Amino acid sequence: MSERTYDVVVIGAGNGGLAAAATTAQKGMKTLLIEQHTLPGGYASSFVRGRFEFEPSLHELCDVGKEGEWGACGTLFKDLGLDIEWVPVPEAYRMVITDKDEKLDVTMPFGLKEYIDKMEEYVPNSRKSVTNFFDLSQEVLEAIGYLGASKGNPDKKVLTSKYSNFLKTASYSVDQVEKALKIPKKACDILNAYWCYLGTDTGKLGFTIYAAMMIKFLLLGAYIPKMRSHEISLAFEKAIRDFGGDVIYGTKVEKILVENGSVVGITTDKGEKINTKHVICNAPRHVAFGSMVEGADEIKEKANREFNARKVGGKGYVAYFGLNKTAKELGITDYSYFIYPTADNKKLYSSMFERGKNPMQAIVCLNNAIPDCSPPGTSMLTVTTLYKDGAWDDVNETNYVQAKNKIAKDIVKNIESALNIKISDAIEEFSVASPETFARYACAYDGSIYGYESETWDSLLPRLLMMKDDLYINGLRFAGGFAFRCHGYSSGYMSGNTIGLLTYKDSLEDK
Amino acid sequence: MDKKLNVKIKPIGLLDLLAFKKLVPNRKKKFEEAPATEIKKTPPMNELAAKLHPKHQKFMITKVTDLTDSMRQFELSSDSAAYFRAGQYISVKFDIDGHKVTRPYSIMSSPKDALSGVYMLGIKKADGGYVTDYIFNNWKVGTVIETSGPEGNFYYEDMRDAKTVIAIAGGCGITPFFSMAQAIRDGIEDFNLYLIYGCKTLNESALKKELDEIAANNSRVKVICVLSNEEKDGYEHGFITADIIKKYAGDNPYSVFMCGPQVMYDFVGKEIAKLGLAKKYVRRELYGQINNIEKYPGFPKDKVGKKYKLTIHIGNNTITTEASSQESVLVAVERAKAEAPSLCRTGECGCCRSRLISGEVFIVPDTDGRRMADKKFGYVHICSSFPLSDLEVEIPVV
Repeated sequence: MSERTYDVVVIGAGNGGLAAAATTAQKGMKTLLIEQHTLPGGYASSFVRGRFEFEPSLHELCDVGKEGEWGACGTLFKDLGLDIEWVPVPEAYRMVITDKDEKLDVTMPFGLKEYIDKMEEYVPNSRKSVTNFFDLSQEVLEAIGYLGASKGNPDKKVLTSKYSNFLKTASYSVDQVEKALKIPKKACDILNAYWCYLGTDTGKLGFTIYAAMMIKFLLLGAYIPKMRSHEISLAFEKAIRDFGGDVIYGTKVEKILVENGSVVGITTDKGEKINTKHVICNAPRHVAFGSMVEGADEIKEKANREFNARKVGGKGYVAYFGLNKTAKELGITDYSYFIYPTADNKKLYSSMFERGKNPMQAIVCLNNAIPDCSPPGTSMLTVTTLYKDGAWDDVNETNYVQAKNKIAKDIVKNIESALNIKISDAIEEFSVASPETFARYACAYDGSIYGYESETWDSLLPRLLMMKDDLYINGLRFAGGFAFRCHGYSSGYMSGNTIGLLTYKDSLEDK
Repeated sequence: MDKKLNVKIKPIGLLDLLAFKKLVPNRKKKFEEAPATEIKKTPPMNELAAKLHPKHQKFMITKVTDLTDSMRQFELSSDSAAYFRAGQYISVKFDIDGHKVTRPYSIMSSPKDALSGVYMLGIKKADGGYVTDYIFNNWKVGTVIETSGPEGNFYYEDMRDAKTVIAIAGGCGITPFFSMAQAIRDGIEDFNLYLIYGCKTLNESALKKELDEIAANNSRVKVICVLSNEEKDGYEHGFITADIIKKYAGDNPYSVFMCGPQVMYDFVGKEIAKLGLAKKYVRRELYGQINNIEKYPGFPKDKVGKKYKLTIHIGNNTITTEASSQESVLVAVERAKAEAPSLCRTGECGCCRSRLISGEVFIVPDTDGRRMADKKFGYVHICSSFPLSDLEVEIPVV
């Protein structure tokens, strides 16, 4: 068995792993990034069908910003020298509620003032409470920035004096805070449209994480890479190599070796042992503790309890349509749509447990941001929905195609009726990424495309405050959707960056 | 921020601060009170993925049947064979005198047979075919072979295709359609399959009898034989033309699926163009690797018949070898007895995607299945890249 030594080994080249490896390599650590698949990025990738190249997962990236007003992600990309062409997303979202008693069709802009003005138009007398919501969100964002910078060791005095409103709201759900702010119900419905990006209903979803996401979207807008998210992943990969790091694909890490409570190395499915004191794991905590960590039986029980207390986030289902007409010809005017059968997201959340009900749909028409993303005369439409727990358990090898196509058919029907368009006869290419697909390519745990649910008790803030407690093994830290920043593209990148920096700090104490 | 909000969640503001302080103890308590039951290592979706898409499969050849003078049918058996969509292929691995090569073959049997661990392959002996020679000389009952899982996108897709498929087959291109016909017979697929089967003579029309039998019992399957080298009553004579397609297609919308040799695509492609079908209604299976690259339009004339130095990095190993402008980089790697991953060998699937560290390659636009960002960051599919200079490439470990 051959042996090599690295300062740090990063397991998994998903968004968290890429950002972590780029960060440690930039800091001069001898870095090895190992990925089981042949491509970097995990869901941040692309695939070609016929004359279309589809974006598998990214709807819009928040926190990028532009020259002169970079967001946190934008700053990270710039610091690492990533070569990515960003294209702005034109509007925040259009939300359509299809229930005949609740009917709603609103299009919301980016920009705080623009958003509040538009809301006032749709919901008269909402201005004051919605403005309060965003003032509070801004404080939340600043407070999280402060907490992040303090690496889980905040000064209580600073917190109580500067961020008292944040403290008061930090342990409540979105619904509780909206109620306290007396935001009219219809305005709440419109405000809560992004809930499916986090996959937990607003009755349980921690307010802070939602507020932070919302305000980032509105202040900085959203961006997408010109060449699908594969461009981001490859830009990261190039940065890692340029900083002297190594990247290997098609290789699976089998064991994380631990001795006396500290990481000593890893082994791969190619029979190689690699010595290292630091591992950054992009795979979920429970996968690492449940199947990879060897030599630390004492943490098993604790790790099991931790996992059983949490909920694994939604399973992804994405239908991709390559259409042989332009978006304009088809009457698809917007970039991002949320089509919900009802505005009641608790009902929508519970419908995720069953396959076959009318699902919620988050839709992107890439051509409405990048007109030439597909050949002239064509367009692409991507529709995402989510499922929970056992919703796919009855699917086996023989009914799989039928199961996934049944959903796609329902989706097409729903979209056609909600938007009064016709796309069914224009489908030139069609593909589905089901929970099985995410499991196949990215080893997604049971097909989940999100991390642990960010319920109030286990949301961003408590995770930040407990970063030290969550360190079960010296030298083993976690990045990505299952880590402390919760899930989502920008959180994945930022968590990787933070964990990379923390690992670098750890390494300074090695000698 | 200066502006102070008066946010009260509970009647007493003080409670809110307490709630904040309780975040950490609450989370600790949640963890401590949860059961310590074991974490499931392979949950249902990961299990399904492993079943539907195994990376490798092993089979024993359990039956060999001659279909025609030059085409042979092999029955592959295993404890479990991954279920597939009629029309898909498997990539078979060979070790020929130390050269590790692969070839894609359509599965000709019904998906139903996979449930009892069986695939059938129908392989035609190519003139001077390096791999088919090996197969015809070596594959016998009892031979054990390794393959990929089912691959490819050449199957009926009801979200996209017309309810009637005009299937145009030439030579061993009959195999995916034979699988589709059986899938219709077995109630797995639900569409009309009108098979226009081009053969030189009736003797060479492999599987004709079996197809006729399916058609006799199932109105959704029709078989039309077009014989180019003999005239026979009850058979079309000549080549597959637009007129023949129109004659059998009827008035309803239809999709055209093609599978056969490159020469058939060249001829039938022009005939199909006359039908004025939308692009979405015309699909063709990949034709395998390009054998005459230097004759392609756009291939630089001054680069014909050249030899170059090829440096290959695989994992920790570096190999230096010679590469010919006439052969893909993948073939050069295989000639050097190095192992590169490959499946479709036509540029589409991306399995052989490799990093081009330096040098220049020629890629036929038709077989350039690369992602945009791959082009930007210097990645190529080595199965469809032909050297135009000395090259240095990094190839994924198999």
